[in-house]
Amino acid sequence: MSTAPTVTPAKLWEQNATPKHRIQWCPGCGDFGVLAALKMAFVKMELLPHEVLMFGGIGCSGQIRNYLNGNGFHGTHGGPLAYALGAAMAKPDLTVMALAGDGDTLAIGMENFIHACRRDPNVTMIIMNNGVYGLTKGQDSPTTGLGKVMEAHTEEHPPYVDPVRLAIASGASFAAQSFAGDPKHCAEIYVEAIKHKGFALVNDFSPCVTYNKFNTYEWCKEHVEHIPSSHNPADKQAAWALLDEYDRKGRLPLGVIYQAPRHKIEHARLPIWDEEFADVDHAPMFQPFM
Amino acid sequence: MSLKGKGRRTVVVNNMKLLVGGVQLRDGVTTITDILGKMFVRAGLHILAMEKGYASTIYGAHQYDPVVVSDTPPLSWGDDHPDILVSLEFDTNPDVPVQPNRDTILRHGKNLTDNGVLLYDSTTSTVDTSDLEARGIKVFPLPARQIALRELKREVVKNTVVTGALLRLLEFDMDYQLFGQYLEERFSKRGREIVDLNLEAARRGRAVIEEVMKVHGWTTVGYRLEGRKVERPALLVNGNEAMSMGAILAGCRYYAAYPITPASSILEYMEAYLPKYGGRAIQGQNERESIRAAIGASVAGVRAAVGSSGPGISLKVEEFGTSGMTETPVVIINTQRAGPSTGMPTKSEQGDLTLAVVGGHGDIPRIVLAAGTVEECYTLAFEAFDLADKYQCPVFLLSDLALADGRKNLPEEFFTQNRRPVVRHGLLREADLRGDGYRRYAMTESGISPRSVPGTPGGIFKMTGSEHDEAGLVTTDPPKRKAMYEKRQRKMQTYLKEDVKPPQVFGTPDGVPLLVGWGSTKLAILDAQARLRAEGLETCAIHFTHLWPFPVHLVRPLLQRGSALIVIEGNYNGQLADLIQQECLLETKRILKYNGRPFYTSDVTGGVRQLLANGTRVVRVGERAPEVMLETVPEGD
Repeated sequence: MSTAPTVTPAKLWEQNATPKHRIQWCPGCGDFGVLAALKMAFVKMELLPHEVLMFGGIGCSGQIRNYLNGNGFHGTHGGPLAYALGAAMAKPDLTVMALAGDGDTLAIGMENFIHACRRDPNVTMIIMNNGVYGLTKGQDSPTTGLGKVMEAHTEEHPPYVDPVRLAIASGASFAAQSFAGDPKHCAEIYVEAIKHKGFALVNDFSPCVTYNKFNTYEWCKEHVEHIPSSHNPADKQAAWALLDEYDRKGRLPLGVIYQAPRHKIEHARLPIWDEEFADVDHAPMFQPFM
Repeated sequence: MSLKGKGRRTVVVNNMKLLVGGVQLRDGVTTITDILGKMFVRAGLHILAMEKGYASTIYGAHQYDPVVVSDTPPLSWGDDHPDILVSLEFDTNPDVPVQPNRDTILRHGKNLTDNGVLLYDSTTSTVDTSDLEARGIKVFPLPARQIALRELKREVVKNTVVTGALLRLLEFDMDYQLFGQYLEERFSKRGREIVDLNLEAARRGRAVIEEVMKVHGWTTVGYRLEGRKVERPALLVNGNEAMSMGAILAGCRYYAAYPITPASSILEYMEAYLPKYGGRAIQGQNERESIRAAIGASVAGVRAAVGSSGPGISLKVEEFGTSGMTETPVVIINTQRAGPSTGMPTKSEQGDLTLAVVGGHGDIPRIVLAAGTVEECYTLAFEAFDLADKYQCPVFLLSDLALADGRKNLPEEFFTQNRRPVVRHGLLREADLRGDGYRRYAMTESGISPRSVPGTPGGIFKMTGSEHDEAGLVTTDPPKRKAMYEKRQRKMQTYLKEDVKPPQVFGTPDGVPLLVGWGSTKLAILDAQARLRAEGLETCAIHFTHLWPFPVHLVRPLLQRGSALIVIEGNYNGQLADLIQQECLLETKRILKYNGRPFYTSDVTGGVRQLLANGTRVVRVGERAPEVMLETVPEGD
C-alpha cells in the first residue's frame, strides 16, 4: 500500500477530521478509547482512509466518524447497519464499519441488528455500549441495568439486553467484547473483527462519565475479565458455556467469544461507471414478452 | 367499448372488450387471458388490459380480467361494458355460496353489451339467462369442467376447453397455428401427449359451440377477430415490467423492496434479471431496511432504487430526508393503491401525490414524476435515474395499480428507440480528485456538488443528515445553515431551468375546457376527449408527468388559456387540483373517483357535462354500484 511519503500512518488518520479540540465528547468519555483503538487497528491493518466507509449512528458515539479520517455517512436513528448492508453489497472492496451506540443499535435499530446477523454482510459493527442515552441526557437504554441485581422488573424498566447473546442466537458469525478503558486490547479485537469475512460484532463497554454513575470505569475494571487462551471461539457450544460461566461469576468476558466463518459467496463490485453499461444487451429482457 | 354498429346485426371485427371472470386462484382467469393475449399480439392485434380486478386474498374471491382487443392501439379501456363475457365458475364461489356457478354472470351480466356474448361453465347446471337473452345476448353453456374431468380425465385442461370455445366464437386461429405454437412452447418439454391433450380439449370446446350455434341457427356470434399482417414484433408487458426493464437499462444495479401489492412484481423481476446484469436485488426485512440499504448502495456509487406502495412509502418517509439532506440519489417507485391505511390493497387510486410532494419534516429537495401509461413507465424510469444522479435527491416515480398490472402490447422498437445510454452525472473519477481539499458539499451556482465514489483516493467525504458545512461536518452556525439550505434548494431551481418538462398538451387550449390529469387516468381522459369531440364539444387534454418542483412558469400561462380548468383524478380531495391552485393561484373544477374502479370514459364525459352545465365545482363519480354483491365480501389485507 502506498501512502503519501510526508505523512506517518498514524497522522494519516488525523486528516480530514474534526480537530481534536472540537471533539464534542465529555472529558473522559469511553468513546475516546474506542477512537484511539480504531485508529490503531486501521494503522495495524495498513488500511488507507479512502478505503474505509464508516456509518455512524445517532447519539454521541456516532460522531466518531468525524473524528478520524475516512469516508463517513450519518443518516437516521437505527439505520447504520442497513446503510452499511447496501454499501457492503455494492462495493465489496470497501472496509465498511457501523459505529453506533446501544440505543441506536438495540432499541430503534433492533430490526436491522438481528437481520444483519442473519444476512452476514461484510460489515464490522462496534457498539459503544454505555447503558444510557447520553445525548438526550440520561434516559434508560436497552442495556441499562448491566450488573444490577434485578429481583423484580417492570414494563418501564426491563432488564439488560445482551447484544452478544442476541447476535449469536441470530446467526452472527463473529461476536466479541472489548472495554474502552483498554484501547490496546480493543484494537486487537477490532483487527480480528475487520479481518473477519462476514458480519462482525464488537460490543465495547464505553463508560458514559456524565449520565451512567453505575457502570463506571472502576466498575468495568472490576468486572471485566479476559477470555482464557484455551477458549475455542469456533465452538458454538463453548461460546454459550463461556457466557453462562461468566454470568455465574458476575464477570464480563473480553475477547473473541464466537467466530465461525460461514462459507460466504463472494460478489463482484456492482457496475458504476458509464463504460460498464456500454454493452448491456436488452434482448434477454424483451424476449419473454414476445 | 363503443356501441357503434352494435345495434344492427352486423359482425364487429377486431373491436371488442372480452371479460373473463371466475374464482381467484382456482379457476385460472389469467391463464386464459395470458394465452389469448399472447396469441392476439402475435396475430398483429392490439390489446389493452388495465382493469384487472382481484382481491387481497390468495384464494376464493371473485377475479376478473377485461381485455380490449382492436385493430389499432386502443385509446382506453372505455366503459364498463364487455362485449364477450366468460364465466369460469363451475360451481359455488366459496365467497358467495348462494350463487352456484353464476357469480360472474350476476356481477357482470348486466353490464354486458346488448347483442353481446356470454360463455359460461355449465358443469353444475344451466343458469337462467332469459333476461340477457331478451337483450339479444347469445348464451353458450359449456360444461368445460365436466368435459375435462370425465372425457379427458384431466381437470387442469378445463381452461383449454374454454379457450377452444372462445377461439371458435371469435372465428380466430381456427387452424390452431398460433395456439399450437403456444402449446409447443409451453408444454413440449413435458411431452408430446400434453400438447395433444390440450389440442383435443380445445377441439371439444369448439364442438360444443358449433352444436349450440347449429341448434339456434346462428352463423356468427356478431364478433370476430382477424389476424393482421405482423409488421413489427411486439412485447406484451404490464407497467411494472416496463418500469423494471427501463430501470435496468437506465443503469439501476441495486434494488431493495419489501413485498407489497401491487409493487411486488417489480421486486420479482429485479430478483430474476438484475443478477444477469451484474446487479443485486434484495428483499428487505421491512420497508425501512429496503430504502436504507438502497441509500447505502447509492453512497457506494451505484444507481439504486426502492419500490413500494402507499403503506410502505409511509414507512419510508424518514429516509426521504436522509436522501435529500445527505444528497444521496435514490429512486423511489410508488405503485399507488387505494388508501388511507391498508385501504383497498388491490384497487387503484391516485392518492399519494401529496405524500410524494410534501412527505417528511423540513423542506426536502425532491423531484416527483408520474407515469400515465405503460409506455411512460418505461421512459420515465430513464429520466428518474438520470435526475436522481444529477440532482442527488430522492426522485419519486409514481405509478398506480392500474398501470402496475395493466398490460398492453408495444412494438419492440418502442423499447429500443427509447433506450438511452447510461451517463453518470457529477460522479468524480480518480483523475478529477488529484490534489487536496475535496469538499463533498462544495458551494456551487447550480447547487450541485460533485460526488466521489468511496474508495477513490482524494475523494474522502463526510456525509450527514445533520446540517453541515461544505466539508460535511455538523454545524448549527446560522450563516452556514442558511447557505447550505439554499444550496440544496438551488438544485430545484436548476432543475426547473434545465430538466423539467411541461405537461403534455392534446389539442388547442384556447377558449375550450381543459381536461387536466396525471397518472393512469390519461387514457380515460383522452378517450373522453375523442367522444366529446364526436358529440361536438371541443376540449384540450393536459397531462402532467413532471409534478414537482412544480413548473409554474410553464403551467400557469397554459392553464389560463382555457375556458374552464377541470382536473380529473382518482382520489378524494383532488391532490393535483390542490397543487395547481396552490402554485398557480387558479381556481379548479374537479372530477373525482375513489370507489376502487378506474375512470371509465363515460365518468369523464358525464362529469364534464355536469360541471359545464350547472356551475358545480366538484363531481364525485362512481356512485352506481358496479357489481351486485362484491362490496359486502370480506377481504384480507
